[in-house]
Amino acid sequence: MLVGNSKFEEAITIAKKGSHCGMCRFDFLDTGLCPSGTKYGYLAYWPQGRMQIFKNVMSGKVKPTEKLIEITDSCSLCGICDKQCNFATQLRPEKVAKALKEYVESLNDSDFQNIPEDENLKGLRDIVGPQWATNDPIIVSSYISSIISPDAGLNFYIVMPKDTEELSKVIKYANIHNLPFLPRSGGTLLSMAAPTVLSKAFGLEQGIVIDLLRMKKLEIDTETLTATVGAGITAFDLQKEAHKHKLRANVAEAGAHICGNIASTGILSTWGNKYGWAADNFIDLESVDDEGNISRHSDLEIKNPYSTEYGFTNISLTPPLIVTQATVRLNPVFDDEEAVFVPFENIKDALHLSFTVAKRGIGFSNVILSRKYLAEFISPTPKIAEDFEFILEKYMKLNYVVDIICNKDEKKIIENMVEYTIDKSTLTALILGCPKLATLKNSEFMKILSEEKDPLKALFAGPMKKHFEQALDATPENISKIYDKDLQEFFKKVYSKPKMTDIVWLHEHRIFPSRLMRQRMFLPMGGVIWTAYENNLLEWINMFETVGEKHQLIHALGFISPFDQGRFAVLEYDFYYDHNDANAKKCVDKAILESQENSLMIDGILSALNFYFKGLYRKEHILFPIAKAISKEDQELFRELLNNIIGDE
Amino acid sequence: MVKFLSEEWLEQCKRYMHEKLDPEKDLKNVTTSLLGVVEHIPPENSTMNFYLNIDNGKLTDFTVSSGDSYEKEAEFVIMGSYGTFRGILKGETNMTIALLKNRLKLQGNKIKALRLMKPLDGVIASLREVTDEFEE
Ligand SMILES: Cc1cc2nc3c(=O)[nH]c(=O)nc-3n(C[C@H](O)[C@H](O)[C@H](O)COP(=O)(O)OP(=O)(O)OC[C@H]3O[C@@H](n4cnc5c(N)ncnc54)[C@H](O)[C@@H]3O)c2cc1C
Repeated sequence: MLVGNSKFEEAITIAKKGSHCGMCRFDFLDTGLCPSGTKYGYLAYWPQGRMQIFKNVMSGKVKPTEKLIEITDSCSLCGICDKQCNFATQLRPEKVAKALKEYVESLNDSDFQNIPEDENLKGLRDIVGPQWATNDPIIVSSYISSIISPDAGLNFYIVMPKDTEELSKVIKYANIHNLPFLPRSGGTLLSMAAPTVLSKAFGLEQGIVIDLLRMKKLEIDTETLTATVGAGITAFDLQKEAHKHKLRANVAEAGAHICGNIASTGILSTWGNKYGWAADNFIDLESVDDEGNISRHSDLEIKNPYSTEYGFTNISLTPPLIVTQATVRLNPVFDDEEAVFVPFENIKDALHLSFTVAKRGIGFSNVILSRKYLAEFISPTPKIAEDFEFILEKYMKLNYVVDIICNKDEKKIIENMVEYTIDKSTLTALILGCPKLATLKNSEFMKILSEEKDPLKALFAGPMKKHFEQALDATPENISKIYDKDLQEFFKKVYSKPKMTDIVWLHEHRIFPSRLMRQRMFLPMGGVIWTAYENNLLEWINMFETVGEKHQLIHALGFISPFDQGRFAVLEYDFYYDHNDANAKKCVDKAILESQENSLMIDGILSALNFYFKGLYRKEHILFPIAKAISKEDQELFRELLNNIIGDE
Repeated sequence: MVKFLSEEWLEQCKRYMHEKLDPEKDLKNVTTSLLGVVEHIPPENSTMNFYLNIDNGKLTDFTVSSGDSYEKEAEFVIMGSYGTFRGILKGETNMTIALLKNRLKLQGNKIKALRLMKPLDGVIASLREVTDEFEE
């Protein structure tokens, strides 16, 4: 029945391309949220989980259970997921939901397996209630490719505690019964690690997946400029609420949960230069340790929670504590905030501007975006992103853009430091006009532009600016035409909203970054570098380039963003690959290990794997003393350690 | 059937290591001491430890006792749950990954510990070879 059914084939293709970006789990387009996911909680009931389940049942990884009927029945095919997913990935998850429904309707009673409640499940249900703990293989399988590695079996319990006390009891239960456990929040970091060798250390091999989505407390205190957030609150949820009070939080990508983000990467953002990193982000935390003990960072009797061991061997790829609630800082939003975009051909010039501005304490958000990021963020489809990037590189010679959010006075200072900037009207034209720009790939206009002595100047500050903006035909209506017919009206309305072209709003709400993982995966490497070592920074970028080339991956610098008054900068370099291609995955594994090892050989760098899961600590304890390149002998040791991890391949 | 942490386990491990591990070839003549703390032992949720002393590649002390500390100070302390040790001894869990995952917590100089990992491979392999029964 299923073989050769084109609807099923199409649904399988869609499901496989899904990359667990999590954009279907918060309301960023004012569509409302998936009603089924909101009601039932488990990942299985969200569009993202349905895609995973469809993939699993079709590949025979899991057999249907009665729960699958509830999962498909709970979907009303309302179409919210298609809108959200299309914005981020251009996929149509509703087609998968439909196919899954049809599949379930075609089953006989004998096709269903029955998995009884076992002793452990009973114990866990006694703690969280019968609805919020399960060992149902279908539900379990929806967590594959994020917290559950694709190679692991289905020997798991999924538990959704409602609060800190329940979580503490779950952990105590787990310990007594020797069940490993790990929390899951937005799953974005876990999903990036899942297809790679990192999943062995990041993922869970069996035991209890603690899904923290139910911890939804969100309170803004406008007097103390703080917000108290439970572990189920996403960056977008918090920012949206803070914004209502003209406040903003320091957040990472929209789908990351604040508490999980604090514990894992410490919320690294382009706003870090002003707002800080790691323990700078929070006033207080409530957490549960791996023995189930509840504490707050403000408790007097606990041992120093802000310090961590120093050195390259301090790698730990799971959280030291489970953060259940955080009180985070909020910052005022000023009426005169604006974005300044300064385009550059050379990295050295971009670094000079970004770091000088940072050291002078100018601006809120400060980042050097690569042309790859600029193209991926702005472009609504992968193809447009590809053409856009080609144009930026080949014709415009725009390889980097220094992107600063600042107030009006600061803007003047920056404008005095540079010859020209990309102004607001051009930026709006680029966002709404990128589909048209992509069509200019082989145009006469672009050829003429590329022959200019300084194409960037001619385009953004010279006589061509006006023609360029006109040529882009930048309207909400035009950009909406790249979407499927039935979604065009919707996207016309979306792009008509001022916030969709408001650079400050977009930086705060971070709804674009998940486009980096549309229909394929990316693996970010990099870390933090002491900015005084500029040559080392350049060497570092070259190293990543060499590794990317060697392993035949699509690879590019992502961003460089100064923080701590320009003393340090975080750098991200990405490897892109097809997560359904076994060969590509092997190449990424090699690139991860090789670039990690090489990063340790350069002075002044704290590599990505060394700063993961340090977010609870003071940045001063993490970053000082400035890292030194490791010795040859230690390199050998480190290589052995890494080989030990991949050795059992 | 030799049960992890039992008297018999201790004796068999000692015998096995004396017979099979060459101080120079296998243990590279290392001198170190290690306290393994095993937590959450079923059925009582108890804690036990084993203390190993290796002198110039020769096993000079191997003791099992209850609680999380031992009268002699060890150069390294490695702590983990019974389930984690079980996984390692059954060959299901890679020790490095257990460390990266925080399932095993190491106290002591980490670089030195990494250097010792290779020579101590033989010890782990011996324990693995001998142990074939666990509390479930
Ligand atoms: C497109 C994209 C862009 C990104 N951009 C940024 C960025 O700008 N800045 C940045 O810092 N990171 C970024 N990341 C990395 C990462 O996704 C985030 O840092 C974030 O931590 C993930 O949050 P999550 O809720 O998805 O965590 P998950 O993926 O669910 O979990 C991540 C890890 O934290 C643990 N964990 C989850 N919840 C908790 C908790 N409450 N307490 C303790 N541990 C917990 C999990 O066990 C897991 O080990 C990005 C990732 C993607 C995919």
